[in-house]
Amino acid sequence: MTRVNANRVMLVIAIMLAALYLFPLYWMYVTSLKTNSSIFAVPPEFLPGEPQWENYATIWDVANIPRFIWNSLVIATGVTVITGIVGAGAAYVLARYRNGWIDAALFTVLMLQVLPPSLMVTPIFVGFAWIGLLDFPRFAAILAISAKTMPFFVILCRAAFMTIPRELEEAALVDGNSRAGAFFMIVLPLARNGILISALLVFMQGFGEYVYSASIIADNRLQPASIGMTNFLQPNVVNWNAIMAFAATYVTPILAAFVLLQRQIVNGLTAGALK
Amino acid sequence: MKRLIGASALALALSTTGAFAQVTLTLWTESATAPESVFAQEFSDMDNGITVDVREIRFDDLVTDTLRAVATRTNPDLIAIDNPDHAAFAARGAFLDISDRIATSDVIDIDRVFDGPRASLTWDDAIYGIPRASNTIALYYNKDMYEAAGLDPDNPPQTWDELLEAARALTDPDNDVYGIAFSARASEEGTFQFLPWAQMAGGGFENINADGVADALELWKAFLDEGLASPDTLTRGQWDSTGTFNGGNAAMAISGPWELGRMAADADFEWGVTLLPVKEEGGPRASALGDFNLAVFANTEHPDEAFAFLEYMVSQVDRVWPEFTRLPSFAGVELAPTGDARIDEAAQVFTEQLSYARNRGPHPDWPRISSAIQDAFQSVLTDQAEAQDALDRAQDQIEGILN
Amino acid sequence: MGRWVQGLRDGIGFDTMLVLFALLYLFFFAGLPLIYNIVISFQSVDVFSLGSLVHPVVGIDNYTAIFADPLAQRVLINTLIFTIGSVTIQFTFGFALALFFHQRFPGATWIRGLFLAAWVMPGLVVGVLWNWLLSGDFGVINHVLESVGLIDEPVFWRSDVDTSLYSVLIANIWYGTPFNMILLAVGLAAIPDDLYEAAELDGATAFQRFWTITLPMMRPTIGAVLALGTIFTLQQFDLFAAITQGGPAGSSTVAQYWSWELSFREFDFGRGAVISVLMIVVVLFVSLIYVRSTKAETQL
Repeated sequence: MTRVNANRVMLVIAIMLAALYLFPLYWMYVTSLKTNSSIFAVPPEFLPGEPQWENYATIWDVANIPRFIWNSLVIATGVTVITGIVGAGAAYVLARYRNGWIDAALFTVLMLQVLPPSLMVTPIFVGFAWIGLLDFPRFAAILAISAKTMPFFVILCRAAFMTIPRELEEAALVDGNSRAGAFFMIVLPLARNGILISALLVFMQGFGEYVYSASIIADNRLQPASIGMTNFLQPNVVNWNAIMAFAATYVTPILAAFVLLQRQIVNGLTAGALK
Repeated sequence: MKRLIGASALALALSTTGAFAQVTLTLWTESATAPESVFAQEFSDMDNGITVDVREIRFDDLVTDTLRAVATRTNPDLIAIDNPDHAAFAARGAFLDISDRIATSDVIDIDRVFDGPRASLTWDDAIYGIPRASNTIALYYNKDMYEAAGLDPDNPPQTWDELLEAARALTDPDNDVYGIAFSARASEEGTFQFLPWAQMAGGGFENINADGVADALELWKAFLDEGLASPDTLTRGQWDSTGTFNGGNAAMAISGPWELGRMAADADFEWGVTLLPVKEEGGPRASALGDFNLAVFANTEHPDEAFAFLEYMVSQVDRVWPEFTRLPSFAGVELAPTGDARIDEAAQVFTEQLSYARNRGPHPDWPRISSAIQDAFQSVLTDQAEAQDALDRAQDQIEGILN
Repeated sequence: MGRWVQGLRDGIGFDTMLVLFALLYLFFFAGLPLIYNIVISFQSVDVFSLGSLVHPVVGIDNYTAIFADPLAQRVLINTLIFTIGSVTIQFTFGFALALFFHQRFPGATWIRGLFLAAWVMPGLVVGVLWNWLLSGDFGVINHVLESVGLIDEPVFWRSDVDTSLYSVLIANIWYGTPFNMILLAVGLAAIPDDLYEAAELDGATAFQRFWTITLPMMRPTIGAVLALGTIFTLQQFDLFAAITQGGPAGSSTVAQYWSWELSFREFDFGRGAVISVLMIVVVLFVSLIYVRSTKAETQL
């Protein structure tokens, strides 16, 4: 089989796999256009019988989506910045050395993310209330969420740093760079892909975070989209189509952005760097 | 007329006292479109120096967030809380005792509140809040399917035996139709749906293993074992289950008045509502009691202003039905016609059912009692226990909690 | 003084600072809450005493209560099945997809990005979508299986005590595979092509190349992915809440869900904390294994 044909076959397989995998995403879009009862129709409707396009108009009016998305962006960016700055350095050191202290540190970092946020939120909330951090809700939420994403980021970045040959760093030191210089000028750019992908995942986690934001941010004007969406959830009545429309509105651009970004990052400069 | 007097008296009182300097109250609620949120906005717009800020919290998180807030003294002044959770706060002194204020109030007549909601507000003979509205459950049925099955659509089942027979006649697996849809979920919704049947059999949460309650479990078991209700009833809530009724995949559904808006819009068949069937002819009637109460926190700095807001809410009780499609908790309130005869008829049935509605509790540890009841019906419905054994076990647990 | 500053920029000082900074941050925002949970597992904590730091101590009463609970054994088994099943299957699928997309056919990288959808969608939405897909009557999965003739009657994935746990497992595999895939893809992309070319010239088969080049070079990544995957799976809560609520009759209750039920449904924070302590013990082992595995990582 020629290369071109092989490529075509693989593309077809890829599309089929993606279609299969993305079915729940498709279902989200379809549900956003259904009535609240036809969601439960037997047999299930793969295309909405009477598309309710007005669902999108309704949520735009009612839900003030731009404000929610802005808050989500603020929180996600804050989390990524803090996690990135504090975590990258630690990851580098944990990759460079091997001794008892490092093992202990690595172990601790991993252990500190054992508990789900639902169990951590109570002591965090109580602690924040005590020191008055609750007066800066989004900042407090960013701090709390960063603690959740940081161990994850550190472990991943460490794996990225491990792929960089020691010789390069040593060569830089021989050339007269300080340790800090070698880190910033040589190591960081080479590990960029791994770091960026991890940062991307951290950003996504921060964007979609629910538990800490819901408890820590009391002011409706400062809440992120993940919470804005739950306003359609009431004890007995749930406007699922509105929730799906809401989700579709912000998931679509973000997914598009990430498809673009991950492409750049994962397959960015690789082979060339090591020469 | 009374409402007019009440409202004007209130307005007069508020404007002449002048004792309310600029005050801001915070109110936590589960929805920005609920009565208290809308009334809060109106109250703030009135020229009384009081502003009520509303914070929406997701229903599932409401109690936990409030507990945390009380523990850290970051709680609001007012809260709208689900009625079975009311006692947890009232019993521990977190809510303000407003019995005296109510006694001297021109606007709030506590004796007009139905028994069920009133019990949920009371602890140790003191009143700790006002009801915002009440709901209950009754039997929705598809009149078109009744006719097609040879049943009389004007004579829906009145007893458990009739209900079972009807369900059998209406179940049509070839056309994807179940006889009945309800919820037996492992959550408060499940308890909400199950207790009325236990109560109609002569039991209650305090004597869940009384003679006859096992029959209620057997009824539910029959629905599932004979294929008259979907097996997913065990993990599905009322809203989703009734959704299948609206789509024509269930002939009957046990749900509440919150459903009326969606059903009127989506159901393309004739439907009606009737009272929950009793165990035997002449047997006691019972139903669940839902919806929220408003309460003031004991540590508020502005109890008078907060109480003034409660009075405003009660003064607007006539609007609860027309604007929010919720049933008022006060007796003697005229339900204005909505223009949809089916909804109006249903409202009459629900109002009647409400007079038989029984409170869940009140008890400060209601969630644990509810949990024991859920374990009981879920274990029986999944064939892991016999009905009476499961109920005896639940009774042991509940006695441990009550004492 | 000058030497100390010099040390900061050049030597161990610099390195230690980097790590300490992160550890301190984590200590305050993750360590203290963790310690709080461990402490309250030995205490009787009520809804209203949450705010204070002092509670009546009950020793190991909470622990004996948990171990004596008839649900405990079921929860342990469920948690094991769920965690091991999720991690192994997610990893396998993720690796297979990463390798597949590494083949560099046109469009590969675009399509690979689409798999990240699971992480962009809110947990609430993913949960309820899978609830509907797995529903017995109106669920798409049953509809498709019946249409192709694989099953005769609808399977009630969510409500049958024998399948309820697996229904959540299926949803979780869907949810976790892209994480594995994308990280393994990054690891794969970091391996220089020259190594493969050289091996091919030497006559190595595709399998041999995989075994002797790919796997060893991916070791740090694989270790990280497995360790993190296990921890994330142990924290997976939203799917359980949305799909089965741990039921019916506790058949799909796992440790983290049980802990939540105890803490936030029955308001018995002491017992809820016991389960979190037990989970800490499990993660302790996972972390130890991870740290030991890093000893064998090949440094380039």
